[in-house]
Amino acid sequence: MHGEYKMPGGKLVVIDLEIHAGRLQQVQLSGDFFLEPDSALHTINAALEGQPATANEAALANAIQASLAADVLMYGISPEAIAVAVRRALHEGADA
Amino acid sequence: MSRSAWSDHSWQLIHTAPQSPALHMALDEVLTDEVAAGHRMPTLRVWEWAAPAIVIGRFQSLRNEVDSVAARRHGIEVVRRISGGGAMFIEPGNTITYSIYAPLSLVEDLSFQEAYALMDAWVIEALADLGIKAWYQPLNDIASEAGKIAGAAQARRGNAVLHHVTMAYDIDAAKMLEVLRIGREKLSDKGTASAAKRVDPLRSQTGLPREAVIARMIETFRSRHGLHLDLIRSNEMEQAEALVKRKFAHQAWTAEVP
Repeated sequence: MHGEYKMPGGKLVVIDLEIHAGRLQQVQLSGDFFLEPDSALHTINAALEGQPATANEAALANAIQASLAADVLMYGISPEAIAVAVRRALHEGADA
Repeated sequence: MSRSAWSDHSWQLIHTAPQSPALHMALDEVLTDEVAAGHRMPTLRVWEWAAPAIVIGRFQSLRNEVDSVAARRHGIEVVRRISGGGAMFIEPGNTITYSIYAPLSLVEDLSFQEAYALMDAWVIEALADLGIKAWYQPLNDIASEAGKIAGAAQARRGNAVLHHVTMAYDIDAAKMLEVLRIGREKLSDKGTASAAKRVDPLRSQTGLPREAVIARMIETFRSRHGLHLDLIRSNEMEQAEALVKRKFAHQAWTAEVP
């Protein structure tokens, strides 16, 4: 499943994922945003992996925020924007 | 650490023979790290391209961004760079690309927006000298009244910051749309690419050959910040060639975000 969200004043945030047994699997964040250090991409993917498919935006954003070290820098992307892209991917799946 | 000024540094210029796309990616990593380590003075590098390329951003999905079949048909190499941002379509002579390898102190305590604006202020002045009214458009574009001129990206590595920019001199928009999967919402960012056959803000607005535009840009940098002619050192080139073999030529890196 695939969800995209152009963060207002930011960049394009894209999520691809699968659902197995009601949980997010094979979560892949991508887009034309800026993230330092670049290893934070994997940290965010890992934080979303296994989250319940019923999790709301706030819960997803909190899970992402909690996983990130204090020195991670985001430009054109935010935990909240990623959460919107996840919900859009899940919504697309529900419509399909 | 307190913030340094451009004039605190002795700026070097590298503008050498055309390089392959993967070698350009590797040179950006090596030269940034050399500045970070204090082995190289801060440097402006103007790129020349030996072959057409699609350069995708560090965090972009390869299959979402690139039509690999079309790219192969056109003989276009696909590479992933170390900085974030969006995909670029390059053909030799169609873009102007440069990198600045600066000590992190130059952008110390600045916001991302301030850091981008600072690193491209000299280009805005150069464009004004060439008769183009251009401005930095957050988050990472240089824009003019005729549309987007350039896209910038920064990456911080250790004690250095890489700032690199690709400017549209005369891009074949039809071919670009064949090889890049540009969503409808992104098209507005790419000027009038959907309708125009070519995206040529620099060529059409200056009426100058690409080489003349580059020469004027270099002169503007030199007059603002000083600039000494330099070369890629043999140990830097060896590191970059090794990095091509180990990383940038491999699908493991290019498809790292599949």
